[in-house]
Amino acid sequence: MTLLRVLILTWEYPPKRLGSVADHVFNLSHELVKQGYEIEVLAEDDLNPGIQDVAGVHVHRVANPIKTHPNASLLTFAMTASVAMEQEASNIVYHFRKRGEKIDLVHAHEWLTTSPAVTLKYAFDLPFIITFHSIEAHRCHGIFGPINIAIQEIESMGIQESAKVAITTEWMKDEILKYYGKNHGNKIRVLPPKDWIQKMKNIYGEVVKTP
Amino acid sequence: MLGLHLSWEFPPRIIGGISAHLFDLSRALIRRGISVHVVTCNFPGAPDYETIDGVYVHRFEAYAAGDSFIGWILRMQKSMERKVGELVNSIGPFDFIHAHDWVSGVAGVGLKHLFRKPLIVTMHSTEYGRRAGLHNDFQRSIHEIENWLCYEAWRVITCSHYMRDHVAWCFSQPQDKIDTIPNGVDVTKWSFPFDHWEIRSRFVSKGENLILFVGRMVIEKGLDTIILALPILLRHGIPVKLVAVGEGPQRETCQRLAKDMGLSEKVHFAGHIDDWRLRALYRVADVAVFPSRFEPFGIVALEAMAAQCPLVVSAVGGLNEIVDHGVNGLKVSQDNPEALAMAVERILEDSGLRNRMVKNAYEKCLQVYNWDRIAEQTLHVYERVLKEWEAGVWKPI
Repeated sequence: MTLLRVLILTWEYPPKRLGSVADHVFNLSHELVKQGYEIEVLAEDDLNPGIQDVAGVHVHRVANPIKTHPNASLLTFAMTASVAMEQEASNIVYHFRKRGEKIDLVHAHEWLTTSPAVTLKYAFDLPFIITFHSIEAHRCHGIFGPINIAIQEIESMGIQESAKVAITTEWMKDEILKYYGKNHGNKIRVLPPKDWIQKMKNIYGEVVKTP
Repeated sequence: MLGLHLSWEFPPRIIGGISAHLFDLSRALIRRGISVHVVTCNFPGAPDYETIDGVYVHRFEAYAAGDSFIGWILRMQKSMERKVGELVNSIGPFDFIHAHDWVSGVAGVGLKHLFRKPLIVTMHSTEYGRRAGLHNDFQRSIHEIENWLCYEAWRVITCSHYMRDHVAWCFSQPQDKIDTIPNGVDVTKWSFPFDHWEIRSRFVSKGENLILFVGRMVIEKGLDTIILALPILLRHGIPVKLVAVGEGPQRETCQRLAKDMGLSEKVHFAGHIDDWRLRALYRVADVAVFPSRFEPFGIVALEAMAAQCPLVVSAVGGLNEIVDHGVNGLKVSQDNPEALAMAVERILEDSGLRNRMVKNAYEKCLQVYNWDRIAEQTLHVYERVLKEWEAGVWKPI
């Protein structure tokens, strides 16, 4: 029996690895499937586009339709890839809708998948959870230029628009409250190192109030 | 039929030509019985929601930080998508999306897939055409985005056959995917009583002929060609004065050119002037000259025609299609001051020709560049697209 159907949005999923997020999302998706969840992973991957079923995890990889990004801008890259992600997410939504089924919630990772998560929320009335593995102020040791400001705005929107923020350390919770406002304290959930999958399931349950 | 228009500008926000185009088109579509919702950027003093002659206008918070103009434009379009998501929740589904240029087309692509409704894109201009080539990564990025929109569009609309061919070439689009529908002009805006001599006397003395140029002062508009034609006219004993309306980087260059040629007294740079004064100027001018080197359409030609002002244009782009030589205006080759001077002289000397051309030009405004006719042509595109969509399998349910 399917417990919940979750659409996970990620910038990196094996074999594409940029940092630790790829393996985190890989482990999360496989553990959840083992425990009876239905997981659709939607990842950006220019070199391996397509749909795969890996041990029950449905992986959808989409390529960015735009290849030229002035000054190697990650912002314009993320914004155009975002539309490709929305396209495939819509295909997934309509696929299940045809069968009388649905996606229960979206789980976005990092600012890079925040924009499609927000769009899906408003277009399909789909709640989303967001996980920040790092934030712009830390990655760049401060907010210096327009690109840092833009990314910080997107992170702020992710926290504002999400149903819950799931992160991995208490320290990160303090940092998020420091940068994005104390008022978000009640929607932040910290995953313990042990049994973090169980905790994530609880957060999913909190967001999706199943009848 | 419920249509969604996406635009980065709509009055009172006016950046380029899309704002005025959509203002007239959307109201004309309403008169054809379509329900039109315009989703556009917010603007100081403009309400978040209003109806204008039956057009529903929804404005969203467009400000967002970006690392470049492209970065901002893309982020702005994410906010546009979100606004449409909210809108659909309140007004229900729409039948099609009509986007204008890459500054709203990216949101159009996203929304097309989210709601599985057909996307129609009007390509008012292209990055390649605006800069006569692709010279850097910013341009190449915009060019790729434009290519993507045309690929995703069910049908593409251009304002001239010249632009149809250009878009087909630029983005490898089949010709039969592109519909050509011209821009329009509302002639009633040009009929108002005013003191002709009061306006004329600000620029010319008695017996002097007023040559009018209107346009952004950029190389592709060719203002320098008129300045080079002035000495020829003066040598022929024809008293003339050029009034150049508009601003741009070429203003200084052209001012220097006029000065170096000893023509400072014969060229008046008027800068930006308000709409009413400009329309009056069209009506008192003896001839309007548009010697463009690149012109997707050439709306200024329609303005002169509506004002019943005789017209000389260079035979490029859309101008070449608007003017039938000797019928509703005269055409010359671009970059040719001698030919331009001869054409101007012909118009000033031959009142029979002048009156005939002005009459035909005004008639063409009523017959061809009429917003109700344009709305009908646009409606045909919508009907065709919806029929094809209906027959297909790509549907939300």
